[in-house]
Amino acid sequence: MKKFTKVELAQQNGKNTFKPYIAYNGKVYDVSNSYHWKHGKHHVLHRAGEDLTDALQEAPHGASLLERVPIIG
Amino acid sequence: MAKVAKEMVEKAGVNVDQLLELLIKNASAELTTFYYYTILRVNLIGLDGEGIKEIAEVARIEDRNHFEALIPRIYELGGKLPESMNAFHDISACPPASLPKDPTNIKAMLTVLVKAERCAVRGYTQICNMTAGKDHRTYDLSLAILNEEVEHESWFSEFLGEGPSGHFMRRGDTSPFVSKFLR
Repeated sequence: MKKFTKVELAQQNGKNTFKPYIAYNGKVYDVSNSYHWKHGKHHVLHRAGEDLTDALQEAPHGASLLERVPIIG
Repeated sequence: MAKVAKEMVEKAGVNVDQLLELLIKNASAELTTFYYYTILRVNLIGLDGEGIKEIAEVARIEDRNHFEALIPRIYELGGKLPESMNAFHDISACPPASLPKDPTNIKAMLTVLVKAERCAVRGYTQICNMTAGKDHRTYDLSLAILNEEVEHESWFSEFLGEGPSGHFMRRGDTSPFVSKFLR
């Protein structure tokens, strides 16, 4: 599985031709098929291309929702 | 726009632009859900469907009420609805509650309904968390809506066999929590 640097992850912001990826707990997820990540934004507050490990602690949902999303790195 | 009201919210540390975007996206979710629930409701037929039709109708009407209740707050804070209905639909905070391929499959119908309600519960929890102790009016409104969305979720969840809702059907008017914002 591909290893992402922070710079490579930051590129994957869902803009232009870059698919939206997010990081959580050391893994990188491809959220491009998720309705909730349209245009690389998630419910106004979160952006693709970021490590959301801390942010998920504050979210109104748990990490179990990521189980539906492919892990790509 | 309610200038001082907006100023108070900003002073309390709320990012009003972000809050407005969330309120507009959730208003869209309410109106689009009202529309999609209309299609679901008319397809809830037969022995199984009829059993769910009434609560689907209550949820449908209450979602429309939520849309109506959100609009004044959006404009008070200096926001506005998109001019295009298409654009408004496409920014919904929740995915379309589309009719399943087989509308006679009651489990599939209930799954659509419960997913929509769960999306709403998460959305209003987010707004409550953002505004608690800071923007009292938006918090009060979001909490009222959240109370009704939680009840909708529990009704459909009960029919899906996930356990008792602990609720009885509405007695009397719809929107027992949100009605104060509709007067």
